Amino acid sequence: MINDFEHFTPKTLKEALALLAKYGDDCKVICGGQSLLILMRQGLVSPKYIVDIKGISELSYIKDDKDGVKIGATTTHRAVEKSAVIKKKYPVLAEMETRLASVQTRNWGTIGGNVCHGDPAGDPVPVLIALNATLTVAGARGTRSIPVENFSLDYFEVDLKDGELLAEITIPPPPPRTGAVYTKFNIIESDLATVSVAASVTLGAGDGVCQDVRIALGAVAPTAIRAKKAEKVLKGKKITDALLKEAGEVAATETEPISDIYASEEYRLELVKALVPRMTKEALARAKKA
Amino acid sequence: MSDYSVIGKRVHNIDGTEKVTGSGKYTFDVVLPNMLYGKILRSPHPHAKILKIDTRRAKRLVGVKAVVTGKDTLGRKQGIWRRFPELCDEEILCRAKVRYIGDAVAAVAAIDEDTAEEALDLIDVEYEPLPAVFDPMDAIKEDAPQIHEGVELNININRHIEWGDVDEAFEKCDHIREDKFKCSSQAHVCMETHDAVASFGHNGKLEVWTSSQSSYYIQRLYADMLDMNESDIRVTNRHTGGGFGSKFELDSAQFCAAILSQKLCQPVKIVLTREEEFTATKRRTPMYYFLKLGAKKDGTMLAKEVRVITEGGAYTAMGATALYLTGFFSSFPYKYPNYRYDGYRVYTNTATTSAMRGFGAPQSTFVGESQIDMMAEDLGIDPVEIRRKNGMTPNYEVPGQAFIQSCGLHQCLDKIEEHIEKRGKLPPNHGIGVSAYGFMSGGIFNWFNTPYAFSAAVVRINIDGKVDVYTGTCDMGQGSNTTLAMICAEELGVRLEDVRMFSGDTGICPPDLGAWGSRQTLMGGNAVKMAAAECKQQLIEFTAAKMGVNIVYDLDIKDRWVHLVDRPERGVSYFDIVKEAIRGKDGVAIMGRGHYTPHRKGMISPAYSFGVQAAEVEVDPETGRYKLVNVTTAHESGTVINPVGIEGQLEGAIMMAGGYGFCEDQPMDEGKILNPSIADYKLIRSLDMPETDILEIDTYEPEGPFGAKEAGEGLTNPTAGAIGNAVYKAVGVRIYDLPITPEKVFKALKEKEKQQKKAKK
Repeated sequence: MINDFEHFTPKTLKEALALLAKYGDDCKVICGGQSLLILMRQGLVSPKYIVDIKGISELSYIKDDKDGVKIGATTTHRAVEKSAVIKKKYPVLAEMETRLASVQTRNWGTIGGNVCHGDPAGDPVPVLIALNATLTVAGARGTRSIPVENFSLDYFEVDLKDGELLAEITIPPPPPRTGAVYTKFNIIESDLATVSVAASVTLGAGDGVCQDVRIALGAVAPTAIRAKKAEKVLKGKKITDALLKEAGEVAATETEPISDIYASEEYRLELVKALVPRMTKEALARAKKA
Repeated sequence: MSDYSVIGKRVHNIDGTEKVTGSGKYTFDVVLPNMLYGKILRSPHPHAKILKIDTRRAKRLVGVKAVVTGKDTLGRKQGIWRRFPELCDEEILCRAKVRYIGDAVAAVAAIDEDTAEEALDLIDVEYEPLPAVFDPMDAIKEDAPQIHEGVELNININRHIEWGDVDEAFEKCDHIREDKFKCSSQAHVCMETHDAVASFGHNGKLEVWTSSQSSYYIQRLYADMLDMNESDIRVTNRHTGGGFGSKFELDSAQFCAAILSQKLCQPVKIVLTREEEFTATKRRTPMYYFLKLGAKKDGTMLAKEVRVITEGGAYTAMGATALYLTGFFSSFPYKYPNYRYDGYRVYTNTATTSAMRGFGAPQSTFVGESQIDMMAEDLGIDPVEIRRKNGMTPNYEVPGQAFIQSCGLHQCLDKIEEHIEKRGKLPPNHGIGVSAYGFMSGGIFNWFNTPYAFSAAVVRINIDGKVDVYTGTCDMGQGSNTTLAMICAEELGVRLEDVRMFSGDTGICPPDLGAWGSRQTLMGGNAVKMAAAECKQQLIEFTAAKMGVNIVYDLDIKDRWVHLVDRPERGVSYFDIVKEAIRGKDGVAIMGRGHYTPHRKGMISPAYSFGVQAAEVEVDPETGRYKLVNVTTAHESGTVINPVGIEGQLEGAIMMAGGYGFCEDQPMDEGKILNPSIADYKLIRSLDMPETDILEIDTYEPEGPFGAKEAGEGLTNPTAGAIGNAVYKAVGVRIYDLPITPEKVFKALKEKEKQQKKAKK
């Protein structure tokens, strides 16, 4: 049973922020509701006030400018998936979206809502970490920027203070010779990840050396994480299968997975060891072609 | 057979349009004037004494109309094995003791669902928790807590099946295998949860709309529990949103709605939540399996010994039947000259296990088909060949148990062998596993103790030539109304669109045991066919007299044309004849009655269907993840009434049985089911479905209507075994416990690697 609540439908960001400032802790922001409604039905969350930002059209956009691509927080997954700009510049983001739940969910759910939900098994965050994205958070006193990898704090907890709202996701232009990939391991195709891996590899000009690499993991810690030690194994080197294997082993040490009904802790570690090399190798292949 | 005008045609379900457009009305949609909404309070303890229930606070809540507990019932216990009172062990509303997390202790009726739910929180129940036991292997120990008074070692029921001399036969075997397996649970996950609208009136009569597989069983069980006359209870099911074995026992929604309605003389609707559906209804029986199989060098299997211990859960339900059938089907589909089965169903403090599509046979087929592949490998014989060597053939008697008339198993094996050859050399880490199975076409057993025929039907022809069929069969989405309408149309010589079905309404339909054990096509079909034939006979007699036909000619009706068989052009319109015949009968509609009860057909079923399935998997050896690439089934079900129906059954079965083999499970912690939601309970979805193919084998079952027999339930049996065998073929690891999850495959691969390294050293 969902408890009674008051429902607001602001039409502008300003109106929304005013409502958030007014109701503070008793209030929850909803957009697509694909995550929040489940928690409310289970009685895990019972807000007194709901600020529904679905109608704020100024937050729904995909813009391409010199700083990169900017995605408004209320942009639906489906819009991201189908965007020509995204497909061209960050095909990995569109590919990730095709594996996120079902078309029905993607038609209604939003990328901003997903990021703010803070589920460590969510699909977009590892990809956004690999792509080095930044979030713009709006509050009554203006906006602030935060790298996406610092945004998730704990299980279902993100760095949003009372009265704040995620407004925009900015993805910097991909460096030349960069390839990025994402996969998730799950039992049912359209399901949440048991373990997910996003990797981005940038090669040096002409030398085939790994100039930069970003590896992000989902569902193996309280938040999506960046496997920095594993990145170090590869950075500045010519990537070999042996190095990739080592990167996988190292990445596993950076995680703190749990055992649950879907997979044991040990199995999740083994999946990290298998998938990090596999996905990084795929990113490398893409970088070579880029 | 090609002269059928209706049977064998590809048709959509006759209620398909209603259903896909949403205009079809389910119990969920039923709203009556003054209707109240009910909710049920359930035990949070797996095993506890109820010391006190205080409902006063709940009753005071505005909008609450009634709160009932076990004290408001007659204190009777229900069970579907009505011939055996000791097996009727479920009160539904518990009075003194709860036996699993989810056992009902009180129910509320209120003006809306929210109020009813709020009231549940205001009922104070004082429990004294008792030691609980969850695993049947623990529950049979001397010091285990006793779940039902007087039931020693918690053994609810045991079954023994034996023929030949098993011990002597093992002496003669060249090779004997002994293997242990474990089969997991599975939830039915019907689209429509259990629900009921019960309306008890001041006339002392009870009317119930409910989602059900057997209106007659529900009516009779109500009569037992409420001490009412069967005829004062009308149970109707118009559409049922799935059953799969979960909906032919009196459930808590039905019982509590009726008790509340009796108290208030107002209609009460109860719809179980999805969480209740997962935790407080019945489920597939987990089983521990111990198998011993002996064969000669040439692959002839001489003896099989089977021991099974099943997790019964809190009550008997249909679990006793599952225990019997898993024992019987452990011999399927092979001619074991010597066979012994001992099965024990053990009470545990978990949700009751009962009937589910396949009814014990998916378990026995998984373990049996896994072991036979191991035997074949031990003996160096091809898996198809060992099945061919031992497989059942037409007119085979299972000693003392059953007589099998039609049987197309060998043709199925041939087709599957061709299919495997056609797939050619497989890519690395691919494997094809084979699994053979059989299943029954309705049960002969009558532990329900019905005095009625197993199936019955009335067919009435109206003045406009349209035909009404009244039968107690229940269409739960499996398409039985379409099948039966086709049988009626064929027999009577009209078109499918001329037939209207009235089914599953005890107020107007003759009793039928309902839709379980794959009985509707054969048993319901025979009853409908007989009733239609009686109508047809009346029309033919009338026509013969009217046309002045020479006595040497036979008449028949085909496609609305009443004609001479030898001179089909000589005839009259069916519609004209109907009008005149009814006038000739002083205005009485043409009516026919039909019934069917199996006689002299052994102890299990009047007919059996057979099939062989080949599943192809692709395994990722680094993660253990595997994909179902292709599932091809050679299938024989006698005459195919509706090919579209069979395809639907096949696809649905692969989804369900593939899920049983691959991912479906109900993990528990101290008796608490940990995944009681669609999000957490993993089901195969459309994206996970493999490519499927069906190779239909032509057989004819003399006992069935137009030669038809079981066609959908048995398809649930082979898949888990085929997957297990395929994974073994692909990467050489054998999984002994269901479901065969990627994690289990991965661990087995690691273990195999370890063993290989050890061996090298």
